[in-house]
Parts: sequence; C-alpha cells; structure tokens
Amino acid sequence: MILVVAEQRGGKLNRASWEAIAAAQQIAAGAPVKVAVLGSGVAGVAEELAAAAVAEVVTVDAPALDTYTPDGYVLALKALVDAQAAQAVVFAHTYQTRDFAPMLAARLRRALVTDITGVKGTGADATFTRPMFQGKLAAEVKPQGPAPHLLSFQIGAFRADAVQKGSLPAAVAASGIAVDAGAIRQKPEAPFQEAKSAVDLGQAERIVAVGRGIKAQENIGVVETLARAFGAEVAASRPICDSGWLPMERQIGSSGQTVAPKLYVAIGISGAIQHVVGMKGARTIVAINKDAEAPIFEVADYGIVGDLFEIAPALAAELAK
Amino acid sequence: MEREVLEVDILIVGGGPAGMSAALRLAQLQKAKGGEPLSIAVLEKAREAGAHMMSGAVLDPSTLADLIPNFKEKGAPLAAEVSDEHMYFLTAAARLPLPFIPPPFQNHGNYVISLNKFVTWLGEQVEAEGIDFFSGFPGTEVLYDGDRVVGVRTGDKGIGKHGERKGTFEPGVDIHAKVTIFCDGVRGNLTKTLVSRLKLDDQSEPEQYAVGIKELWEIPEGRIRPGAVIHTLGYPLRPEEFGGSFIYGLPNNQVVVGLVVGLDYKDPLFEPHAAFNRLKQHALVKNLLEGGKMVRYGAKALPEGGWHTSPRVYMDGAMIAGDAGAFVNSMRLKGIHLAMRTGMLAAETAFRGVHEGDTSAARLSEYKRRIDDGPVKKELYPIRSVHQAFELGFVPFMLNAGLTMYTKGILSPLKIHAHPGHERMQVLKRYHGREGDLTTVPAASNATATDKTLAFEKLTDVHYSATAHEEDQPSHLLVQTDVCHTRCGSEYGYPCVRFCPASVYEMVDNGSGGKKLQINAANCVHCKTCDIMDPYQVITWVPPEGGGGPQYNGM
Repeated sequence: MILVVAEQRGGKLNRASWEAIAAAQQIAAGAPVKVAVLGSGVAGVAEELAAAAVAEVVTVDAPALDTYTPDGYVLALKALVDAQAAQAVVFAHTYQTRDFAPMLAARLRRALVTDITGVKGTGADATFTRPMFQGKLAAEVKPQGPAPHLLSFQIGAFRADAVQKGSLPAAVAASGIAVDAGAIRQKPEAPFQEAKSAVDLGQAERIVAVGRGIKAQENIGVVETLARAFGAEVAASRPICDSGWLPMERQIGSSGQTVAPKLYVAIGISGAIQHVVGMKGARTIVAINKDAEAPIFEVADYGIVGDLFEIAPALAAELAK
Repeated sequence: MEREVLEVDILIVGGGPAGMSAALRLAQLQKAKGGEPLSIAVLEKAREAGAHMMSGAVLDPSTLADLIPNFKEKGAPLAAEVSDEHMYFLTAAARLPLPFIPPPFQNHGNYVISLNKFVTWLGEQVEAEGIDFFSGFPGTEVLYDGDRVVGVRTGDKGIGKHGERKGTFEPGVDIHAKVTIFCDGVRGNLTKTLVSRLKLDDQSEPEQYAVGIKELWEIPEGRIRPGAVIHTLGYPLRPEEFGGSFIYGLPNNQVVVGLVVGLDYKDPLFEPHAAFNRLKQHALVKNLLEGGKMVRYGAKALPEGGWHTSPRVYMDGAMIAGDAGAFVNSMRLKGIHLAMRTGMLAAETAFRGVHEGDTSAARLSEYKRRIDDGPVKKELYPIRSVHQAFELGFVPFMLNAGLTMYTKGILSPLKIHAHPGHERMQVLKRYHGREGDLTTVPAASNATATDKTLAFEKLTDVHYSATAHEEDQPSHLLVQTDVCHTRCGSEYGYPCVRFCPASVYEMVDNGSGGKKLQINAANCVHCKTCDIMDPYQVITWVPPEGGGGPQYNGM
C-alpha cells in the first residue's frame, strides 16, 4: 500500500495533492493507494479526495492541527505511518512538505527522497529521478533501508488530471489519531504576507508573463488586463523585475521561481535559457513575440508572431466576450 | 562599526594554484621544523575550492613533483598524459598543418588537466594539513599601517541592492597577518590597489592581457584521443589580433575547445565571443563537436606580458604570487606551474621571515632573489619581449618569436615597450572611418549567426557557466561616470557589450531616445576582461558577496 499525504489549508485542497496521487498511482501499478489528509474539520476535503481511485481516504482530524505546525504534523504523521504499514509515503514537494518532511523522516528513521521529477519502475523496484546542483544534473536514486520510504514530488512533475478517478467515491475513514496540543512547541502567529503583492506562482493555474518586449513600465497594464481576462497571475522575465517594473517574487527563471501552470502565456519574452528553465514544465505555452526567430517559439505550443500591443488587447477583448 | 579581528601569522589571499601551493608548502615547512605551529589562513571568494578555477589546461608537472613528489599516489587528477600534438594555421576554409611543432608547443611529459579538478584536489591536501581554508570570503580591502601591509578585510555579507543592511547582514572580518601573500589571480582586485598605492609598477612595463573563452563538450566516441593537444593560429582571428585556439582531448569522450584573444585588439567592434563561435563553426572544430553536447562554459583573462610586466612582488608585510604577479609563460601557454612555484617560494620566504621576526620589504626581497636565481626567471626571461613585439605587427611578432625560440632569448630585444592593450583599441572614426551614434549599439564586425548546436548566444553560454550570485546586492562592477551615454557610443560604439563574454553589459533605451548602461552583474563569470579592456578605464571589478560566481566543474 502506498500512502499519499494530501495538503490542505483552511479546508481548501492544495491542487498539487492530485499530482502526488497521480505519482502514487503510477508507482503502485495497481496495488492499493490510500490518501491521508490532516487538519481540523477536513471532511469536505476528504470528500473531494474520495473522487480518486483509491482504497481509502484517511483523516486525522484534530483541533491541534487547525493551524499547520511542523511538530503537529510530525506527531500525527508518525502515528499514522506507524499504524498504516505503508510501503511508501508520498507528498507533493510544497513549501509545507519541505518544512516538516525532513523531521518526519528523521523521527521515523526512514529514507526521504525530495523534489522527485520522474519515476522508473514500480513498487519496491522503483527508482527516482531528482535534480541536483540547481538542476544541472538529474540523479537517479533508490532509497535504502526499510520501508516505508518517504517520497516528495516536484510540483508539475506529474499531471493533476492524470489521476485515475474511481467509479464510486472512495471510503472516508477517521484514523482516530489524537494529537496532544501540549507536545507542539511552535506557537504560530496569524499568517501574514511579506508584501501585499506576495504571490506563490507555483500555485497558479494560469500565468501571463511579460518580458522586455513591453518596453516601458507604463505598458505593463496591457499585460495585467490580459491576465485578468484569463484569470491568470502576472509574472515576468528577469529584465522586468531588474528594472523594478514588477516585484522580484514574480520573476520566473533560473534566478526566480520555477512554475508549471496549465497555461503559460509569454509576452515579449525572447526565451533565453535562463527563463525557459523556469517555465518549460507548463502544460500549454503560448508565445507572443515580434521576432519570429525568438527561441521562445521552440518551446511554445502556440506562437503568434506580431506586435504584442495589438495582439494582447485583441486577445483580452475576445476573452471578455 | 565593530569588526571582528582575526590574528594570524601568514595570510594567503586566493585559493588558486599559487595560494594552495603556498599553503601546502607552509604546512610542510612547519612539519619539518616542529615546535609551536604558525597560524595560517587562506581566503577564497568561491563557495568551495576550485569553483572559480578555469584554464586550458596543459600542466607542466615540474613544480607539482617538487611540491608533492608522490602526487600520483595521492591521486592528483591529471586527466591524461599528452599523447599527440598537432598545430595548424587556419584559414576560413582550410587548415594548414605546421610542418613541425615549435619547441615551446611541445608538450611531451605534460598532462591535460581540468584546473577546477586539480585545485579542488589541492584544496583537499591543504585542508588535510589542518590549514584554515575560508571559502566564500573574498578579500575586499588591504589593511595598512602606514605603507606596511598588515592584513586584509573580507567582504561584508547581507548588503542589499541599494547599500542597505539586510537582516542577514554580517560585517566582514579584519584578518591581521605578519605576512600576507596575495594570490588573487589575473588583475587581482587587491593586487591592483597594492600596485597603485605602493607604486609597485614604477619599474615595470604595462601589463598585457588576453582573455580565454572555453567550452567543455561531450562528443561521440572516437573523435579525439585523451591527451591529444591541438593548437591553431590564424582564423577566426585576423593578423592584427593576437591569439589562437586550443583543443584538448580528455577521457570519457570529453574535449575542451577554447580561444585565447589578446586584449589589445584595435577594432572596437571586434567581439571575442563571436570569434569563439566562428572557431567552432570551422570545419576542424565542427567535425569534432558535431552531434556532441556542450556541458560547461567559462571565460577568464590571463596575463600575457611576461617578465618585464611583473610588478615589484615584495613589500613591507606582503608578497605577490601567481597570475597576480604576471608569472605566465605566454609562449608555452602555461602558468599553473609558475603560479605554484612562486607560491612555494613566497611561502618559504614568509616562513623564515616570521620565524626571524622580520617581515620587512628588505627581508621579503629574498623571494624576488629566488625568483631571479631559479626556474622562474630561467623560463620567463628569454621570452621577455615576445608578446610586446605584437604591437609592431604580425610579421615582426612572428620573426621575433621565432628568433627568441631558436636563440633561447639571446637574440631578442632586451625590452620592447608596448602600450596597455586598452590604449590600442581605436575609435570608430579611425578604424571604420565613421563615428558611431549614441542611439544604436552596432553589431560586432565579426558577428556570426548562432545555430544553437555549435555557436551559442552569450546568454546561453552564461547559463552553462552555472554562475550564480545573491540577487539582492549592490553591483560589483563599479562604473561611476557618464561617458557611457555621453561619449562612448559615438567614439567606440559601446565595446563593453562585445568584450564581456557573459552579457553583463547592456545598453538599453533610456526612454528619451538615447541609451543607458545596464549592468547585469549576476551574469558575471569573474573573468576581469571589463576591468582590463574598457578604453576609458572606468570599470572597476570588485568582488561580489562571498560565494557568488561561476561553478566551473570540470573546466
């Protein structure tokens, strides 16, 4: 059995959890997969997860898990993993997973493979591909030591819509694990955002990104309008953030964020390799650039050669219809 | 501001071949002498030993054998012994083999190495001796007591883009030493300030430089033998441009291809990186690389001027070794063994000086005497005028080089005066017969189409240097002038855009019809070309926050 640990916050499922389930289903190759979800009042999320073709959705519902703390999650997951006799425990490699998974692995004394981008083989024979040296190398690793091995999958490495859905909703069962609030050493403050514009682009389903072709800061509005029409987040290539036209946290590429949205619209971005490494995992890439030779067209699924100041407003108008 | 102060006996600045050899030699001397050990520290700006190391390279193992006689047992990473040698004169369409390999190019008994791997290994030897090796700490300032060098200040960490202190701020440390050995490499940022403050060059000729641009490739099996050494002259350079290519076979179907270009070219529109791309598109190289994969890119300046350009290398409390002191044999294309040798000699003098309680310039001048009496001068003096003759033209250069070679320097001018390379760059009007204009960045005169398989855009190459810097820090390339947007475009046509092999310099629209300089400092591969070649001499390279820079694995 493979146990997937889904992630939720405030009753909202992190969609990367579906990718983790897809990964688990591939590794399991028919063997049972269970999904666990932790929190306080997670029945709704459990129902949502039950749509997947899994043996069971297990909840760990405890008031002490209402707000995420690394201690709370490690205590709950240690108890759950001990009780479940899983062959592997699968996570999406989210910020939250990065926070608690190493401690969980140490507590369980089990191997942890992080940031996995691919899987070869199935079951106990599976080997995992993960980037090393800032993505310069891809290493194939096989976790050693007794099961269960802990596996966390890079966001975008598996497709959320590749999850096999069940014909009937899976059973939802409460684990009955209690979490002692007194054993949690962290006392989280209310969450806050560093800056008003702080954004986790890794979560965005659609991104409209702008590059140097936009020419001037006052033109950014053109892109923002299009992004609104798509319901997308605005991102940028390096020169735009360097110039301070958009904040640094919206930079995509080797010195910014790596994203894998369903749709990535690159506007006026030439497609230098430094940018492409940050977005090539997007499902559908649309590029608008006046230079037909721009390398962005090599990775684009749809390319429009032309003036972005004509095309972007026209697209926005069409979408608004 | 309160700074931590660290007191050591001997400080070595720069963990390259010179600095590592100095450190190892000190450890050996200490062992032999016994008693209370001296405290020794090595500063290195790279995150780890070897990360910023890049060279051709063919190693003459003579110094290594003196420093570590059992280097083979100790696993020195000497990739391949030189197996066969070829030298060609290239034209755009053909290659003409030279009928014989001139003696300076004969490499029998030498080894093709990756300097990155070699210095990483030297670093392991140094650390095994228990010497403090501070990687990720650049020296940013020389500390003086009057005109006596008393140590070095390391760079602050955690300074934001606009000079503000971030939450991670950590002030640099003052390291006080009885003797400081500067091994900060070609155009070393500290050596440069030493030379100007203490007038160490008042007896020297202007330094001459070149830049080497290189890629490491994985190629289909059977194309080149490990240890094969190929050098070329001619294309893609014109007779007026100094330089040539190097192609070295490595084990595991790897090959390095590189081009050395003198930083004394006349044409302001010439671009070294474009010449490198042309080299790879030449049939000789193309046949080697086609179907292969480029795995690493790098660029680094090298001192070319030789003997008479070396500054005074000793002063009160300090010495200069390696590339920083111009100890490179430009005729044999070798400097690693000389860097190691001068590092060892400096270490020996430092050790004795500290034990005798005298580290004055007079005491440390012993280092210079030993350079003069030993293999360093023996190798460098005969070729003292080879590079300088290039200013007289290609033919006099070749004649002088040939004469020097066959008379072992006896029939060679005692001293030829040559101008600093940047002064040889001509203005557009003189070279191309027309002034440039401030609103356009002209294309390189030797531009070639990039093909994404052999010839790459600079930015793509930069990606393969794996250079990385903390983004939120002040630019480490200081350009405090307005000549960029007021004069340079019409006079030289923005040559920084072309001579930088890493797309650091960019002229972007200033919003009112003109251009302004944008410095993409994070792209920098620490080659120092800009500091050397800029015709107005307004660019100063200072070290970025410690740990930043390229990651030259295998280079």
